[in-house]
Amino acid sequence: MGSSLKKLAFFLGIKRKEVNVLVIGLNNSGKTTVINHFKNDEEKVEKTEIVPTVGFSVEKFQNQNLAFTAFDMSGHGRYRDLWEHYYKDCHGIIFVVDSSDRLRLVVVKDELDLLLQHPDVSKRRIPILFFSNKMDCKEALSSVKIAAALGLDKIMDKPWHISASNALSGEGLQEGVEWLTQQIREYITNKNLKKFYRFIEI
Amino acid sequence: MSSFKREKKEEEDGGGNPFQNIEKTTVLQEARTFNETPVNPRKCTHILTKILYLLNQGEQFGSTEATEAFFAMTKLFQSKDVILRRMVYLGIKELSSIADDVIIVTSSLTKDMTGKEDLYRAAAIRALCSITDSTMLQAIERYMKQAIVDRNSAVSSAALVSSLHMTKIAGDVVKRWVNEAQEAVNSDNIMVQYHALGVLYHIRKSDRLAVTKLVAKLTRMSLKSPYAVCMLIRITAKLLEEEGDSGNSNNHLFEFIDSCLRHKSEMVTYEAAHAIVNLKRTSSRELAPAISILQLFCSSPKPTLRFAAVRTLNQVAISHPAAVTACNIDLENLISDSNRSIATLAITTLLKTGGESSVERLMKQISMFVSEISDEFKVVVVQAIRALALKFPRKHSVLMNFLSAMLREEGGFDYKASIADTIITIIEDNPDAKETGLAHLCEFIEDCEHTSLAVRILHLLGKEGPRTKQPSRYIRFIYNRVLLEDPRFRAGAVSAMAQFGATCPDLLENIQVLLTRCQMDPDDEVRDRATYYSNILSRQDKSLYNNYIIEPMKISISALERSLQEYIQGDTEQAFDIKSIPVVSPLAAEEIQTIAQKTDGMLSSTGPASKPVQASREENYIKELSNVPELQQLGPLFKSSDVVELTESETEFVVRCIKHSYTKHLVLQFNCTNTLSDLLLENVRVQVDPSEGYNIVKEIPCPKLPYNETGTSYIILEFPSDLSQSVGTFGAVLKFIAKDCDPTTGIPDTDEGYGDEYILEDLEVTPSDQIQRVSKVNWSAAWDEATEANNYSMMNIVFSLSSVSTLEEAIKNVVQYLGLQAAEHSDKVPEGKTVHTLLLAGVFRGGADILAQAKLVLADTVTMELTVKATEESVAELIVFAIE
Ligand SMILES: Nc1nc2c(ncn2[C@@H]2O[C@H](COP(=O)(O)OP(=O)(O)O)[C@@H](O)[C@H]2O)c(=O)[nH]1
Ligand SMILES: [Mg+2]
Repeated sequence: MGSSLKKLAFFLGIKRKEVNVLVIGLNNSGKTTVINHFKNDEEKVEKTEIVPTVGFSVEKFQNQNLAFTAFDMSGHGRYRDLWEHYYKDCHGIIFVVDSSDRLRLVVVKDELDLLLQHPDVSKRRIPILFFSNKMDCKEALSSVKIAAALGLDKIMDKPWHISASNALSGEGLQEGVEWLTQQIREYITNKNLKKFYRFIEI
Repeated sequence: MSSFKREKKEEEDGGGNPFQNIEKTTVLQEARTFNETPVNPRKCTHILTKILYLLNQGEQFGSTEATEAFFAMTKLFQSKDVILRRMVYLGIKELSSIADDVIIVTSSLTKDMTGKEDLYRAAAIRALCSITDSTMLQAIERYMKQAIVDRNSAVSSAALVSSLHMTKIAGDVVKRWVNEAQEAVNSDNIMVQYHALGVLYHIRKSDRLAVTKLVAKLTRMSLKSPYAVCMLIRITAKLLEEEGDSGNSNNHLFEFIDSCLRHKSEMVTYEAAHAIVNLKRTSSRELAPAISILQLFCSSPKPTLRFAAVRTLNQVAISHPAAVTACNIDLENLISDSNRSIATLAITTLLKTGGESSVERLMKQISMFVSEISDEFKVVVVQAIRALALKFPRKHSVLMNFLSAMLREEGGFDYKASIADTIITIIEDNPDAKETGLAHLCEFIEDCEHTSLAVRILHLLGKEGPRTKQPSRYIRFIYNRVLLEDPRFRAGAVSAMAQFGATCPDLLENIQVLLTRCQMDPDDEVRDRATYYSNILSRQDKSLYNNYIIEPMKISISALERSLQEYIQGDTEQAFDIKSIPVVSPLAAEEIQTIAQKTDGMLSSTGPASKPVQASREENYIKELSNVPELQQLGPLFKSSDVVELTESETEFVVRCIKHSYTKHLVLQFNCTNTLSDLLLENVRVQVDPSEGYNIVKEIPCPKLPYNETGTSYIILEFPSDLSQSVGTFGAVLKFIAKDCDPTTGIPDTDEGYGDEYILEDLEVTPSDQIQRVSKVNWSAAWDEATEANNYSMMNIVFSLSSVSTLEEAIKNVVQYLGLQAAEHSDKVPEGKTVHTLLLAGVFRGGADILAQAKLVLADTVTMELTVKATEESVAELIVFAIE
């Protein structure tokens, strides 16, 4: 391969197989459990051993030939203000909602609005995947109701998707992440195409 | 050749340092690279190195920029590069105290400390502890406990050392890890064992009983780690020192240290020898084996051992001269040691123990290399000279010359101060040396860059100069200071000149001229002082001179400030009463010693004493007493007594008493300790049966006293209106409600308790409880003035002190019982004298001034004629009659 071809391949994102995603949502919504599901068997933790995250934790997993680096953030009030430090360089966001926690749904909405208004997020077309988690719980709301409660239909400038999930059994998780993988591929290719056009214009 | 030259040159320019030209802003800019994915480990490691370099060079980072760099750095956790990760840990530790929200990395670090990568674990623990505050400690407690007992010794050590650091922020949490630390003490790894002992001791150190148990257990099992044994020796020695000579119970402690002299590790044998020679209780028989170890080390080929041995011998040369002389030959050999530090210590040790005849020879030897050694060792030389001068007063001129030569050389503040101190000590001790000593000091302040030292010398010249044969010769030296830049010099000089004016009538006129000039000074303080002194001196009133120039009031400045503040807020109709301010008593020599020896950090072996801190005992109690509302109406605290033990050692309850005197009230503070693990005490109080004339105003019991805690109860009494009744003996009984309880939890078995009591030793109230010492520089002037003045009453009595057989003993008893301060070094009796006059001064609660003169004559017993002058007759009476 000649050097210009190499550059072309790079710009089109074909070589690029590593992506960063940010995992956020209120505490106890199931973020760490969701990520744990995707990890390979060696690194997986027993479900009973999962403890509340303090700060954040970096986890790696593979999905459909793409290497994910996930920043699993703590959802405790004290740490939510710190999520923004990690917005800038992520390629996708996984937002986990506890669908059985009706009481705090308004808090979820507040946090989501803050996220969407943040300058590092509002200007970019980054894909957001919502997990309407804990679908197995009796009081769980359906994903349609969650989407309505959070006003997702108003998000026009970003691709988004909501999956009902059960992080304990794994139900719904794969489907959601497949969507995200697809979107991130497109997002990166688009971004790089733009760069490429600029490159050949010169 | 040319390339070699260039390298050499670069080295000189500092060109060998690749970081020499880096700049903070550029580096912080570069740190943005951390946010990029994928992470480039090499590049990021390099940037992190630069940040660490800057931090270690003392570069200041603002909290915003530090926080930004910190959060960028947290992104590096996504890289699996081992070197980069370890740099990140270092970065976290360095930035943890500057950046905000550093707890964000808690989970990432706990993951690393429990993970599979051994290279991460220990370092992650250390980083984790640097970001954890007391609120977060609970969250990581489980991991810390596991790590302490981890099989990997690096992990265990890191956890233990970190625990030790954490005790500063959350001592009570770390206390809960005691079982794990206990387990770690059994480790085979020498470092783990050492660190575990450190943690265990730290957890228990405030509890004497627990330390005793720990030591008893560990001395029986043989510790593998020589470091741990050294530490155990230090703990044991401290325990021995604290218990004093209270019986045989601690014989096994001493035996343990003694047995360590035969340990196979040199470090341990040295530590044991060092401990033994430094123990106060060591007898000469016990000392011998320790000294032979040190003697052996003196001829070791290892310089560290020679150094350690000679340094220890040097420290104990004064307290155990005979034992140290046994090593004389070895020490002589060390004089020519190529290591100058060893040589210095050897010579000064010989000086301390040697005879008068060897002084000249040894001083010559020192002068050959004194310019080559560091200040720290020069101070050692100076201290040796001080000891010599006190021992051989006749040699003062040789020594004084040597000192003044040293004074003229280059040197730091500590060094110069120690020389000046020594000269001052010699002057005070030896009247023959006074004139030469003062002359040397005068010469020194001509060119002295240390202001505080020069001001001290000016003060001394002011005190001593007027009483020399030719006071006028000092004035020039002092007045020269007035022409200097620094106002502190000038102010000091003004005060010193005023002393001459007040003491030497023939110089008064000249001094007034000089003071008038000083009233034009640009500095406020200098002008104020000049005006003040000039005014007083113009009155021609001896008593004014005495009270306002020669012996100014020695009151507690902090108490004065507090009282003035209260006064301003209250009713200012009445004049402010300066007598209500407690006077500060000069610290007794032993007290200065103990303050100097107190070390509150971890265990450090007793080295040279550090500088004493002058905090009066009353100041320390005032804080404690201010928590008791009932005591606030009693006015200012006048005097607090020594701690009096009301129980014998090793009884069920320990009760200690402190007597606090106020103007009209006596407050008894009882500190009670419960040493029974199966009893909870409630409503704990000490009932006293006061002597006649005393009135109990109030009792304040201690509501609850669990096992191993110390609680305080108080009794407020009114002093008898008849002063002669204020000295007496009080019966005392400890009373309380006892509840049986479970020794492990401390929870009482039932709600019902039973009343019980415990007889305590009698408590004496003496004159010294009501008298504060006052130090008089010119006692005789004050005495003469009291004779002339009409407000003093005088009492006189002659009796024999049958229980003492030396003048020293008599002086000690009188000073202690009356609580007066000896003036003009009159508490020292020149050798061989049988007649001596002791000059005393003090102030009685309420403000009456006291002067006393005790003429002592030694025959078979000591006969004393005591004359007391006091501004209140009843006070003079009390003192005269109390002494019988
Ligand atoms: N029933 C149920 N429990 C879940 C589910 N996902 C997570 N949990 C539980 O919710 C709790 C919080 O999970 P965690 O992953 O720590 O939440 P995080 O704070 O968002 O990281 C844990 O006890 C999980 O076992 C789910 O889908 N169904
Ligand atoms: Mg979590």
